[in-house]
This record gives sequence, C-alpha cells and structure tokens, in this order.
Amino acid sequence: MDSLIIPATGRTPGVSFDFAAGHLRLTGESYPDDVAGFFGPVFSALHDFLARPERGAIRFDMELLYFNSSSAKALMNIFQMLETVARDGRPVTVTWCVEENDDSMRELGEDFAEDLRAVVFDLREIPAGGGA
Amino acid sequence: MLAQQYAAIKRDLDDKGIVFSFSGYLSEGILYSLGEALREKLTLEDADGPTVRRVFSVFVEQMQNIIRYSAEKVRGRPGGTVELSAGMVTIGMEGGKVFIVCGNTVRNDDVARLRDRLDHLKSLDRDGIKTYYREQLREEPDSGSRGATLGLIEIARRASEPIDYDFDPMDTDRSFFCLKVRV
Repeated sequence: MDSLIIPATGRTPGVSFDFAAGHLRLTGESYPDDVAGFFGPVFSALHDFLARPERGAIRFDMELLYFNSSSAKALMNIFQMLETVARDGRPVTVTWCVEENDDSMRELGEDFAEDLRAVVFDLREIPAGGGA
Repeated sequence: MLAQQYAAIKRDLDDKGIVFSFSGYLSEGILYSLGEALREKLTLEDADGPTVRRVFSVFVEQMQNIIRYSAEKVRGRPGGTVELSAGMVTIGMEGGKVFIVCGNTVRNDDVARLRDRLDHLKSLDRDGIKTYYREQLREEPDSGSRGATLGLIEIARRASEPIDYDFDPMDTDRSFFCLKVRV
C-alpha cells in the first residue's frame, strides 16, 4: 500500500498518509463514536509501512484542531510507533501545528513531546481561524 | 394548563441561565448534534476558537462519560454499535462563565471508586493535573474504564474553577451522580 487516504468527516480526522514520500498528515477534528473502529485500520497501515525495509525519512504533521481523550490515546500510540523506528536510526520529524492563540493545544503538544528522544519535535504556529 | 406547566419549566431553566438542556436517552448521535448547536451558539456570541474548543472539549468528555458509564442503558441488537444511555446534560451561563452539568445513574458499587478519582483530581493544582495527564496518557487503560481517567483529567484541566460533584442515593443499588464544570 503506497498511501492511506481517509477524507475527514465532522468528527473523524482527515488521514493523508503518503507512504511513498514518507509524509503523514492528520487534519480536522477527532472525536469518533468508535475510536478503535476508526484508528484500527490507521494503526495497521502505519505498522505495515514502518515494518518495510526502506529507511527513508518520515515527516508527520499533526494538524488536528481538536481531539478528545480517547483520540489522545490513539495519537500517543502513533507517536510511540514513530519513536521506536526513530530510535532504530530512521529520521522522523513531528510537526505539531497550533493556532497562534490556542494555549490548550500548545500545552498538549508539550505533553506528547515529553518522552520523545529520537523523534525531532517541532511546534509550529498557524494563523487562527481554522474553524471552531 | 399544559402551556402553563411547560412555561414554568422553561422559566425555571431560563432563570438558572440554562441555554440548553437535554434529559433522556443520550447517544453519540445526540452528542454530535447538541455539540454542533453548542458551538454555533458560542460562535454567535463571538467566543474565539480556543474558548469554543475548551467548552466543547468538556462537553464531549462529559457526554461520553454518560454514554459509556450510565447504569441505565438500552442496547440494540447484540454486537450492535448503538448505545442509548439515560442521563441529562445542561449547559448555561453563570457570572459570565459557561457551565456544563451532567447527571446520570451509577451503580452504588462504583461510587467509592468514582469519588476517589474525583477527590484526587480536586486535590491537584494546575501543575499536578498536568503531570497526572501525562502519566495517564501513557498508561494502558484499566479494564472496564474505556479511558475514563484521561477524560476526567481533561475535564479538570479545561475547567476554570475546581469541579463540583455530588451523589444522591436512589435505592440500594443506584445513585444519581452529578458533575458541574465551569469553563
């Protein structure tokens, strides 16, 4: 599988994983009624991609404007998968996008970044108004 | 008589500053619709994006707690995904702040554990809540909790004042649980 594309809905994020380019993106909002049902296929596609022999750089853009606590667990799971391959020497950069005035999301970024050692973590400010 | 009765209920809600109130069976579908209405209302009142998201976040966690943990539920066909859980949610304005009150039936056997969790959260300051969140984010969920701990921490974190809670015993098996959060 060279990509995993899932269009965003009102409560599930847009997934745009371009495995050929090593570019992964999550956009929109995440509070699915069935978290396991939504993230299960995302984890398994990511797991297969990370298990491949190629060792190209990976870029993960976290552009969610809102996620609930069950999605936070899912997101943490993705971060842990990325940290594992980064510790094996694969270059991984995570960009955590935050609207300029959103202190809650900025703080969450710090919570998620806390135990990343091998992954390069960037916090990037984006203009406000991406939607409530 | 009919209009009088319901006008009295409505007046009572208005007097308490209540903007939305829902009592009955809650589902993920109702969460979504009420959530949309709540965001539209707040946006109309010129709340900025982060404020709207903070209120919305508390709302979602409170609603999902009812949907998952209400002791009064009906399930559709076996293995089905529809879950209807009895409870109530009330959102209003008080002293310039938004408040969200959720109520649902819980089993008396679960009261002590829930009380411990909430008391622990209430005892923590901002930094303590942050540390607790970071720990729980990395914990495997305990069986049966479906992620409740992180949800409650999220609620406490977005609250602008300590959370308020109470239990009202109903019978030997059940109590009514209420949680009030000011954002």
